[in-house]
Amino acid sequence: MRSFLNKVLGSFSVPSLLLAATVSHAAVDAEMEGMEVDSRDDGTFLVGSPTFYYDRILGAGGLHSESELWSPEKLRQRLLFNRMSPLPSWNPLPPSVWLKTGNELGDLIYQDFITLEDRPSNRTPILEGGFRSPSFKGFWVTGRAFQDDHFSTRSFSYRKKIVDDEFALFGENYPMFSSMYAGFGYDAGQVNASVLAGEEYIWIFSESSRWIPVHYKPRVETRIDVGNLETTVAYEAADYQNKKKKETGERKEWNGSLRYRCGEACRRGMLQLSAGLAFRKVDDSGVVYTRLEDDRVLLPFMELKFEPAKIFAAHAMFAINDRDWLVQDSIEFRPVAPSKSGITLGVKNVSGTRLNPMADTEEFFDGDTISLTADGQMNLVQGYAGFTDTLGNLELGGRGSFWAEYGAETFDVDKYVTDEDFVYRHGDVGRINSWIKGVTGELWLGVWYQKMFAFKALSGFERVDGKESRFEVTPVEYFTSFSADWLLRRSFRISHSLRYRSDAKWNLRSRDPLTVKGDWFWDATLEQQFPLYGLYLTGTLLHVLGDEIIETPNGAHNRLRFVCTVRKTF
Amino acid sequence: MAKVKALILLFLGLAVCALAQSESSGFASADSIAFSKFYISIEGGEKYPFGDLIDAVDDAFYVGLGARYAYWEDFDGIILFQYSYFEPHREIPRINGVHEVSGKLGLDYRWRLISPIALGVGFICNWTRADYEGDKKQFDFKKDAGATLTDNETEFGWFARLNLPIFTLDDYRAGLNVLWEQVWTLPERSNMLSVGLYVERRIW
Repeated sequence: MRSFLNKVLGSFSVPSLLLAATVSHAAVDAEMEGMEVDSRDDGTFLVGSPTFYYDRILGAGGLHSESELWSPEKLRQRLLFNRMSPLPSWNPLPPSVWLKTGNELGDLIYQDFITLEDRPSNRTPILEGGFRSPSFKGFWVTGRAFQDDHFSTRSFSYRKKIVDDEFALFGENYPMFSSMYAGFGYDAGQVNASVLAGEEYIWIFSESSRWIPVHYKPRVETRIDVGNLETTVAYEAADYQNKKKKETGERKEWNGSLRYRCGEACRRGMLQLSAGLAFRKVDDSGVVYTRLEDDRVLLPFMELKFEPAKIFAAHAMFAINDRDWLVQDSIEFRPVAPSKSGITLGVKNVSGTRLNPMADTEEFFDGDTISLTADGQMNLVQGYAGFTDTLGNLELGGRGSFWAEYGAETFDVDKYVTDEDFVYRHGDVGRINSWIKGVTGELWLGVWYQKMFAFKALSGFERVDGKESRFEVTPVEYFTSFSADWLLRRSFRISHSLRYRSDAKWNLRSRDPLTVKGDWFWDATLEQQFPLYGLYLTGTLLHVLGDEIIETPNGAHNRLRFVCTVRKTF
Repeated sequence: MAKVKALILLFLGLAVCALAQSESSGFASADSIAFSKFYISIEGGEKYPFGDLIDAVDDAFYVGLGARYAYWEDFDGIILFQYSYFEPHREIPRINGVHEVSGKLGLDYRWRLISPIALGVGFICNWTRADYEGDKKQFDFKKDAGATLTDNETEFGWFARLNLPIFTLDDYRAGLNVLWEQVWTLPERSNMLSVGLYVERRIW
């Protein structure tokens, strides 16, 4: 269910009637804010680390993952190499105090005394604690420490040799990220502002397929929202190192954005306009493993929505600067649009010289310069048709689409090199200068009963074809999922999902493609709720049933995990 | 496929349970009941390893603190903290024993048919650390028995229990707690049975 909402929000320009017709409810909790992809069931979601995953919704069109594509909606996400990532999130959370811990299940404990051969590798935990005070005359303070040690074991020994300490705020597991911030803010009607400062360790995955350690000390982020104007400015002092090669480097970076959102009065109009500017300015010294051309990027953008009648809407987003341009637009027609059912016909287009014009332009790897930009442009066109109908407590829907893409971004591999168990690549980002086509279909069925129960079955297929198959990832061909949420006696929540996805394949990050076998997965959240006291006790099991396999090259095993959280809201 | 079938049955079972209770089925507001009663307890007893764990550690005494609170009319929330010191079943070089702190969170169901006995179920989080001699760097984590326990180790699991009250006097109650726990370790899951006596006092 949530996946459907995400898909609607992520792939299209909000077909509001379809959205309104779905049953809203909670879903399985992510192990950490930003890791929702790990429980997604509606496409190709391959997780190698909290800081690197491939996330492509079936039916999104094109071959890129969602996080590779820049959009104004992601202005407050983090740029990790060339991907926009909601993790590590520095979004101030609502007033509350919380504590979270969990583990990849399968430590030895007392089995250690009797298991002398074939000992399982170490399982690693997750830790988070934080608070945000209630407002006092509009002022509040917050603090948060969080790190996800999951997915860290496989590359532990390789990464350990690169850095000169544990590269984490807590423990010795060399987690893929470890973050801590504190700050204060002010909320008062039209004005919302916050200043957060902290320290962060993060392992970023690059085009060469290596993990690059980056230590931010400090990282400072300021957000000021006044009326419809949103401003974000971050300062990052980042240290780079490779102890093995005795290399060190430093990057001082300013980045942020300015965005004017269409206000309430504007949204009631036929023509809605929003505009803004994203920027980065870097100053590198020593050995930094990536480069931003001219040490700066400015990206002005504009968003338009033209909706002369409720049955027709056109959306467009243009972003352009001296190096790149990116356009995302759609036209949507809803000939039948009663309150609980609808038919949607639409066309969307994504064109541009680069999926993420804000990202660095070169990577330096073992004497080689990997160009992260490609000549020419990509063009993706997609036509889609969807329907939904509601009969009492039953909802039925479907969607089909056809897409074609020319100039898809890919990687032209020159050679592969191997170091221990890991494979790296030399080459440059390139394009597939021929048409790739895809056809998709999905059906869903939803049933709900008051606020107590909601169930959704969702299934989809996609067929991708073209003269060339130099895709970074060959996406899954089909999936099916069943998700359900119960709210028993209005205070005990059970959310779970059972799903299957078919094989996916990484084609370009090793000599032999890495096939990620299809499997069944089950996730579940159980939660005692005390709404009167604002208290929530939550336990979540993740990745049950599925084999514990490696889902991304040079990534780690995606293991069975349990996470529990105590949260007290104010 | 057996697991998938079991999960589908679980899905359907929970659906039936949920649908069997309409919003207006007469349950008092959960908010008005939650924490309307609160009890604390002390407990002591013994833990018995089961299965292959018998070869790993010996039986051990435990002491603990507990809290029980009204959650629904027929369900109580339970929180237990227990400490044990386990000695290895066979001699393990440089390791004398293992400290274990076990936290448990779950629900007790007071089924009228078997009243006053309550059936409980919930999650466990066990923290362990070896009582060892020397420097932990001297242990080879890949080979030495017990080496991983020289660092903090935490693992989760689930439990089921029988709460058997023996007598009640004013705000006090004494009873027996029989608890089966499974911790999700590898290469095998670790099972234990604990039996303990508790004394509980109602706070409000």
